[in-house]
Amino acid sequence: MGVASGTEISVIYQWTGNEEAMFNTIMAPFVDACGVKINANSTRDAAVLDTAVKSTPPDILFWPSTSPLQLYADKLLDLTSLGVDASNYADYWQKLGTVNGKLLALPAKTDIKTLIWYSPVQFQANGYQIPTTLNDLETLADTMVSNGQVPWSMGLASTGSDGWPGSDFIQNLLLAMQGPDYVLGLLDGSIPYNDPGVLAAYQLYVKWASDSQYTVGGATGTVNTNFADALLQPFSDPPESMMVDQAGFAAGNIVAAYPNLKYGTDYAFFGFSGAKGVQGSYDLMFAFSDTPVVKAMLAYITGPVGAANWAETGFSIDPNKLAQGHFTDPVIADMAKVLETAQGFTPDLGDTLGGTFQAAEWKAIVDSVQGADIQTELNTAEAAQMATLGK
Amino acid sequence: MPIVPKIMKQGRLAPFYYLAPALLIMFIFIVYPTFNTLVLSFTNKSGTASAATVCVAGQPCWGVFDDYRYAFTSPEMLIALRNNALWLILMVPATVAIGLIFALLADRVRYESLAKSIIFMPMAISFIGAGVIWRFVYYVNTSGGAQIGLLDAILVKLGFQPVAWLSDPRINNFALMIVGLWLWAGFCMTILSAAVKGLPSEVLEAARVDGAGEWQVFWTIMLPMILPTIIVVTTTLVINILKIFDIVFVMTNGNFGTEVIANRMFQLIVTDVGKSSAIAVVLILLTIPVMIFNVRRFRAEEAAR
Repeated sequence: MGVASGTEISVIYQWTGNEEAMFNTIMAPFVDACGVKINANSTRDAAVLDTAVKSTPPDILFWPSTSPLQLYADKLLDLTSLGVDASNYADYWQKLGTVNGKLLALPAKTDIKTLIWYSPVQFQANGYQIPTTLNDLETLADTMVSNGQVPWSMGLASTGSDGWPGSDFIQNLLLAMQGPDYVLGLLDGSIPYNDPGVLAAYQLYVKWASDSQYTVGGATGTVNTNFADALLQPFSDPPESMMVDQAGFAAGNIVAAYPNLKYGTDYAFFGFSGAKGVQGSYDLMFAFSDTPVVKAMLAYITGPVGAANWAETGFSIDPNKLAQGHFTDPVIADMAKVLETAQGFTPDLGDTLGGTFQAAEWKAIVDSVQGADIQTELNTAEAAQMATLGK
Repeated sequence: MPIVPKIMKQGRLAPFYYLAPALLIMFIFIVYPTFNTLVLSFTNKSGTASAATVCVAGQPCWGVFDDYRYAFTSPEMLIALRNNALWLILMVPATVAIGLIFALLADRVRYESLAKSIIFMPMAISFIGAGVIWRFVYYVNTSGGAQIGLLDAILVKLGFQPVAWLSDPRINNFALMIVGLWLWAGFCMTILSAAVKGLPSEVLEAARVDGAGEWQVFWTIMLPMILPTIIVVTTTLVINILKIFDIVFVMTNGNFGTEVIANRMFQLIVTDVGKSSAIAVVLILLTIPVMIFNVRRFRAEEAAR
């Protein structure tokens, strides 16, 4: 591709330690074949990035938010003009990275948390089917209750950030009841957080989370149980509950607590029933220069060899369609399948809108579970949402 | 005129040279930050523009004082102000009273130093550490297993239902105050014990010889004589309780109606500099009367000597 051996390419990303090592493993074939050198700068500091972009921008940037799209729109280069085939990425990814008709960002990797963890052994013993719609999920929960089982574990406690597990659950309910565009509307403020749609999601959540028939310990259990304890409850012997809504990291916690359990038989997950999109996080890639080496690196990552390497290395989920079928880690492979069927991707509402709204959101959840008037709580959170967005 | 070596003659400015280092440090670390906090309390959430700019037409607004509207009228701050008042009204007198009782009782037993050491020991634990310890004491298990929290384990053993000490809004504030009491009672006891020991034994003996009962000796002789010390202990506690933070932050993070002023300030410091600063100013204003009272009393005592 006309890349001179010994060429250097500067990269900024947030990865450190194991993540950085996995990235280097993925890039190794490219580095060896072209004889290039990756000069990486690992930082989580947006100010460091800003200084760099304004003086000597990196050739390629990996960043876990869309903020560079607004901040550096005039400096970023159209990835299609650099030879990237965007058709390997779902439409919603292309939409996410497009500004004024130019594709400025594509996802390098993503983690998703629109998942419900359960015990396949228990489901089989009771004859339960994996629910594919929200109605099925509600019916299944009711069936479990009538069988004398507790469907959910919903611990909200987390020192300094009580409530976040509930915000994930509610966002999943919103994705099932309303869809990803609705959640994106909440993010940009075109839909207020005290909208009837949000209220309906809270009502279903609170119905489950505050009743000891539906969740371990009822409201008291929900607000007092640490999320890390709650996610183990379906897998204790005998199980204390049947299901728990939690992100991908739950697998690590379950294995650590119960080393003898096998993924796929003793513990597994399914995509949140009826969710029309997924929620999670992503690292987007951006390009600031159009040198041959940048084109070569982007072609490698977005092309078949790089995508397969990314998937085989198991560095989260590579949303590139070319990565499909190459995932070797069974947990990541199953998560990738959940992502494949998703019609949209939404980042975490609270994480994206930030502190003031997030605190109000968590408080609304904790208070609602404890019996506060949901509409009043949502009105307070809506004020924080609009204040954050400057509306 | 006596001959004074020139080196010992000091100009009118000399005292200020000696004071300069202290004044400089005071200015950098106290005066300037206080002033800056005051300025920030009139700004928006990033501290970049006047607080009046965030006002939305048709909604209540106090103009440049809008951060103070939050500090005095928002639901969460009203709860915080109420809770700080509760702490002052209930926890402070209870702690001083218990400290005094310990001081008086310990004065009369042989193993006094042992008893006092045990009561004083919590003072050596950091407040964060104490919060973590008491979280275990108050822990409630809502799933199938046994209660591992000390209090609920005892309750269940006695045949009662377990109690959610920290999330039940009817009792959680008192549960937190007990942690504060546990931490501070030793401090009160130590200072009050010194005052009790400093009482002249002739006066007490004279009263007893004249036929006063122990109760009478306490109320009419001991209490008036140690009153200045009680006031010192109380004002110290009042200032510390106004800024109570660690216990609440670790144990409930202000959830379930346990919010306090300092925790609100901490929660907002990153996300909303203006409101956080306004709360800090309110906290300073609440502390000032106690400070003035303390200084006045100190001066009066000095004058009486």
